[in-house]
Amino acid sequence: MIDRFQYREDREAYSAARVKALEALLIKKGIITDKTVDTVLDFFETKMGPFNGAKIVARAWVDPSFKDRLVTDTPAAIAELNLPEGMAGAEGEHMRAVANSPDVHNLIICTLCSCYPWPVLGLPPYWYKDPTFRSRAAREPRAVLGEFGLPVPEAIEIKVWDSSAQIRWFVVPERPVGTEGMTEAELEALVTPEAMMGVAIAKAA
Amino acid sequence: MKLQHYLGGLEGLGPVSTETRVFVETWETRIFGIHTAMMALSSQLPLPPTPSKFTTVWTWADLRKGAESLNPFDYFKFRYYEKWLGGISGYFIDNGYITADELDALTEEYYSDPSKSVPAAGDAAIDNRVVQYLVEGDSPKRDTNVSFDFAVGDLVSIKNVPSIEHTRLPGFLRNKSGTVETVYDGAYVYLCDTGTDGVGAAMPVYCIRFEPEDLWPGNTEKNFSLYADLYSHYVEAPAAASAKQAA
Repeated sequence: MIDRFQYREDREAYSAARVKALEALLIKKGIITDKTVDTVLDFFETKMGPFNGAKIVARAWVDPSFKDRLVTDTPAAIAELNLPEGMAGAEGEHMRAVANSPDVHNLIICTLCSCYPWPVLGLPPYWYKDPTFRSRAAREPRAVLGEFGLPVPEAIEIKVWDSSAQIRWFVVPERPVGTEGMTEAELEALVTPEAMMGVAIAKAA
Repeated sequence: MKLQHYLGGLEGLGPVSTETRVFVETWETRIFGIHTAMMALSSQLPLPPTPSKFTTVWTWADLRKGAESLNPFDYFKFRYYEKWLGGISGYFIDNGYITADELDALTEEYYSDPSKSVPAAGDAAIDNRVVQYLVEGDSPKRDTNVSFDFAVGDLVSIKNVPSIEHTRLPGFLRNKSGTVETVYDGAYVYLCDTGTDGVGAAMPVYCIRFEPEDLWPGNTEKNFSLYADLYSHYVEAPAAASAKQAA
């Protein structure tokens, strides 16, 4: 049996030690500082993340004209909102939103890598980066969505968007029924990263 | 030909992962942070110089080249951030920033004593630039005058360009036909010159709609469309494609 088909028994402990050694060497050599990695991680905790996307979607739900502008000129519509600076920053320089409707369900994929709209959604979850998902969603999206617990009837058209160039995509899911009396803040809580990439829909809590 | 360029449509893979976490091990956060810092400190960006000793170019293209050059078995075997750790460590070694020996030796030290901390050092200007990069980004859009050969609704053919190291043309779209859905405003560069593959310089980008039944005849699902954003170098008129076939 060749090593290619085996993992080290100490797989995670070894990687943890190796990445720490790499970070320590980069600090020692003056490439990054001892705060650089934490600075990046903090930015994704507080400035770029799915909390922004949830605000954008909730606004689209309460304001149909905003929703129209969002799918027509995504960056301009996002700039109307009071979100942290950087909404046209790294991996969000050119974004495009597509809206679900009773007739159309949208799914965002990246068959070549893992392109993802950082400012509004933060970092991609593991399912999105999984080579199996990236392979199968291109040819059999309904089967894949079924595995996510989202049956999409054949009468509903599925649009799969493959992010091969420099545009970053996200989905505006439909507003769940039974949420008519909810405030915008309450609506935000119903919007998940999965719904904003199309492997889920938003549900009334 | 690299399997990684041809993932779309691959069969026989089993169920998808539905893991919604971004990081499944704490160590993964560190390699993500290092990669993002490298992109921010990369020498081609028009950002203020810092005391960082990082003097070379590192972009997504470099990370992707590494992943695309892996043995396909390893590509499927290793988790996302395991591939990053291998690729990024290799880059620092290959470019002479660190040696493999010192990385191995220090790995052993942290392995034996996981509580040992990393050194405290560095100039805050480095971290300021990292934040500035995240906020400002690195727009690929250029105000270059380019000609748009296609309009919305046009039928187009996709070339089968010679991609050696890196490409932004998914394999399953090569030699296929589609319809232009969107002509994006302006021209877009790519992060590096992909050589005979043909992207890098500012050029139009089109969103093109494909019929899954054309892509995988008799072996796909009904009532769905596949769209892909493609650089114009990958796109040609159907007549040009037929002429090549006839020749």
